[in-house]
Amino acid sequence: MEPRLTGINRREALIYLGYRGGALEGVEEELERCEELVLKTARPRAVWRRFALLPDGSLEGADFRPEGEDVQALLAESREAVLLAATLGAEIEALVRRTQVRDMGRAMLLDACASAAIENVCDNLCADLAAELAPLHLTDRFSPGYGDLPLSCQADFFRLLDIPRRIGVSLSPGGLMLPQKSVTALLGLADRPQPRRSGDCAVCGRFEDCSLRKEGIRCGRN
Amino acid sequence: MGETEFTLLDGAMGTMLQAAGLPAGTLPETWNITRPEEVTAVHRRYVEAGSRVLYANTFGVNRLKTAGCGYSVEELVAAGIRAARAADRGEGVRVALDVGPLGQLLEPLGSLRFEEAYDIFKELVLAGEAAGADLVVFETMSDLYEMKAAVLAAKENSRLPIWSTMTFEQSGRTFLGTTVPSMALTLTGLGVDALGFNCSLGPAELLPLAEELRRWTDLPLILKPNAGLPDPATGAYALQAEDFARQLVRGAELGVTVLGGCCGTGPDYIRALGRELAGRKPGERPAPDRRGLCSASRTVPLDGRVRVVGERINPTGKKRFQQALRERDMDYILQRGVEQQDAGADILDVNVGLPGLDEPALMRETVKALQAVVDLPLQIDSSNPAAIEAGLRAVNGRAVVNSVNGDRETLEAVLPLCKKYGAAVVGLCLDKNGVPRTAEERLAIARRILAAAEAYGIPREDVLIDCLTLTVSAQQEQAAETLKALRTVSGELGLHTVLGVSNISFGLPAREQITVSFLTQALAAGMDLPIVNPNQAAVMDAVAAFRVLSGQDPNSAAYIERFAAAPAGEPKPRTGEPMSLETAVAKGLGAEARALTEQALESMEELEVVNRLLIPALDRVGERYERQEIFLPQLMSAASAACEGFEAVKARMARRGAGTVSKGKILLATVKGDIHDIGKNIVRVVLENYGYTVLDLGRDVPAEEIVRTAIQEDVKLVGLSALMTTTVPSMEETIKALRASGHACKVLVGGAVLTPEYARQIGADFYAKDAKQSADIARQVLG
Ligand code: B12
Repeated sequence: MEPRLTGINRREALIYLGYRGGALEGVEEELERCEELVLKTARPRAVWRRFALLPDGSLEGADFRPEGEDVQALLAESREAVLLAATLGAEIEALVRRTQVRDMGRAMLLDACASAAIENVCDNLCADLAAELAPLHLTDRFSPGYGDLPLSCQADFFRLLDIPRRIGVSLSPGGLMLPQKSVTALLGLADRPQPRRSGDCAVCGRFEDCSLRKEGIRCGRN
Repeated sequence: MGETEFTLLDGAMGTMLQAAGLPAGTLPETWNITRPEEVTAVHRRYVEAGSRVLYANTFGVNRLKTAGCGYSVEELVAAGIRAARAADRGEGVRVALDVGPLGQLLEPLGSLRFEEAYDIFKELVLAGEAAGADLVVFETMSDLYEMKAAVLAAKENSRLPIWSTMTFEQSGRTFLGTTVPSMALTLTGLGVDALGFNCSLGPAELLPLAEELRRWTDLPLILKPNAGLPDPATGAYALQAEDFARQLVRGAELGVTVLGGCCGTGPDYIRALGRELAGRKPGERPAPDRRGLCSASRTVPLDGRVRVVGERINPTGKKRFQQALRERDMDYILQRGVEQQDAGADILDVNVGLPGLDEPALMRETVKALQAVVDLPLQIDSSNPAAIEAGLRAVNGRAVVNSVNGDRETLEAVLPLCKKYGAAVVGLCLDKNGVPRTAEERLAIARRILAAAEAYGIPREDVLIDCLTLTVSAQQEQAAETLKALRTVSGELGLHTVLGVSNISFGLPAREQITVSFLTQALAAGMDLPIVNPNQAAVMDAVAAFRVLSGQDPNSAAYIERFAAAPAGEPKPRTGEPMSLETAVAKGLGAEARALTEQALESMEELEVVNRLLIPALDRVGERYERQEIFLPQLMSAASAACEGFEAVKARMARRGAGTVSKGKILLATVKGDIHDIGKNIVRVVLENYGYTVLDLGRDVPAEEIVRTAIQEDVKLVGLSALMTTTVPSMEETIKALRASGHACKVLVGGAVLTPEYARQIGADFYAKDAKQSADIARQVLG
């Protein structure tokens, strides 16, 4: 199963840039160019692994128990979990850096497109996993740092997935990934269809202070 | 296995230790100290399987990774070497200090500095040599720059032989974009003893890469592949021992002499490999047929085809450039770099020599900053050996040095540096007595330079001769002499030649005619490395035409592409009505904004142009942005267009030696621990748009760096961004550090996690909910 980057959600990219409606005169074509460039430059890579879930919520043979009520709720009906990591690679970063020198505007469009692109890679990966792992049903994906799942468990993801060697992403002492357009997440495998919660702001840990929500916009990620 | 010309390595260590009971989450290297007998037992199984070089269990040891484990780097390394040595029962096994990647990314992608990486490797190498290692292996690297730091650390601090292997993907690149030729050129140049590939792929996938590698180096080759590709769900590897060995033997047929296994392989694999290799001889290796210069990700072969060297990064006679150097305005210099690459340069000349400035430091900084944004090989241009060395050290790839000449002194000072760093070198046909008048005398100097270079072990392919252009209006007969010298140097000596051509036309009207005509004649005389201004269309047109006529541009494809957009001879269509500066800015038309500013400068003072034309134009755009009539990207292109206008003003002021124009400096950073920088970037654009100079330190910026810059640049307003609850504390620390430093400045914070209350709690002076508010606050603080 190869990671796939199939498209860029333009609305998502625009929201990252603070777009709240209004004229897009001249921007559309530029956006299209940026999207193309991102699709051409990105080298998506992903790694994932299946673990059985033990009754105490830990992953079998992994010496890892994801903490927090959010994950507990997410995995309530699951008997296995998948850990995954995905990245667009270092090339995108170089492209943005380089573009910043001559045209900051285009660089930001590229960057926003790339953020939307890594989400697309993750969405595709989950769809492909769902197909491959049927008849099991996937839960939403949930990332370290979301809700009450601590960012510190990034280290476990890195250890268990061998992320630096397998997809060339490194982890800083503070728990950040480089290249920047990288994502880690876990999801559960259950016998029954699982509720979709993504896009539902009420379950997001940032419900109170999210500036997007206050303006009535959903980022689609929680 | 008996007598053999092959060196058999070992296989994986980590999985073997896990099988022996190493608990998940325990650093394997701590067993060197707590369970040395288990480590030795694994080594012993490899020796019995036929391994004659053992990689000690030190792959993950380094100051960054093993800091909290309770043992020092020296202890872990010494115990590791000892445990491997103990597996030798008279077989004459060699023990390698095994060194993997540091685990933190180097600049520019990460924040680990090259010099810091060097220090960490140095500590390892010193420990390894002291513990009695027979050699050092740097493996599994995907960053050529990290590998360079490692190799230099070993070369400069030990006498251990160095083996280097990197990890590639099937695409022929490492994760960080290093190509096979770049690895080969750079590491062969740095003088490693053997090189090759390990990990990441199986033997079958590595073979094509090995085939490519041997065209670029004559060093012994190493292959240490995985047992095929891993199964995504379980991580198990695909190949059994026999299949692995059968595939890997094809590597031996290519002339690879050092073989072993990486992830997923064990003693069986090594034994099977030994059996397959028994009685074989390494395949015949043709002499490498490729040479060239490179960055980490791009190679420019030196094969006689024309390669354009861009000359614009050079302060000589350029006031605006000099000002940029004095103010450490890297952005300006980087723009010159990107611009030249976009215009078609193949190599960039880098000259930052200006009296009164610290040239070595500037060279180091410039090289690093440049290679973060352009991927062209660099030509380190200086007459100061310390600056040359600083540049060569900082280069990621294989550079060329500009220049030496026939003088003993320069040859003795510079050639050893070229040798040490594996650089090519430009030799000028002049000496103490100046530029000789005849082609014969210049040829004699070229021979002298060549002989000196060869005496230092620099191969003749790496000696590029500059026959020197003199001004034709002053010494008319010299143009012909230069061409004559060129013909002999390239024809008889068979050396590559470089030539700065623009000098030829100095003092004449319509200079371009002379320059281009001379360039064409020089190219026809065999000169392959013109040093020119690639932004001059006529020059690049001439090169494009020459490439067609000399057969270097197959099917004229590049030529056709170059001229397909704009049919030759037709002038650019001009829009009828004259445009105002305000419209040019509003529409984001940079070139027009620049031209119109220049026009305005003819009749107005600089400050007047700024205050009466540029700033109001920007204000108008800002207002429309606030009313949401336009959206960020439009605002940004307006800002860049205005920047072009400001550039014109700055250039003019630099010519007059006057000061600068700015409403004040603001420092921006996404705090340590956070990578979300979209919001911060928006704030930057808006503030720039309001005429402030923004020092953008980027993301994941440590408090110390923010404090240091604030003090150094005397910044009065510092803006910090954080998007994650986990990084608010680091914002608080940054503010504390700023206060503790005693530097008087206001702190402005923003980002989705913050609220006005939070902001107050952590000691900020201001909170802004969005970019627009940040501009209001800036006005309040800075005016
Ligand atoms: C886009 C995004 C990403 C992109 C990053 C792109 C980039 N270049 O920044 C990607 C996809 C790469 C990403 C990855 C991750 N993300 Co994220 N991401 C987001 C998202 C969806 C939007 C953020 C954004 O850009 N908003 C748009 C900008 C314009 O708004 P803004 O930053 O607030 O800026 C405005 C104002 O705040 C203000 N402002 C901002 N800064 C400043 C500074 C000053 C001085 C001033 C005056 C004003 C000011 O002005 C701006 C313009 O008006 C948020 C969710 C959300 N709803 O916020 C999550 C979010 C921030 N991410 C989150 C996490 C956890 C992650 C990951 C760690 C997840 C993972 N494990 O993989 C990774 C980390 C990746 C890595 N490399 O380590 C969490 C953080 C949770 C927490 N603990 O607080 C969030 C909140 C999602 C969530 N709901 O939980 N992410």
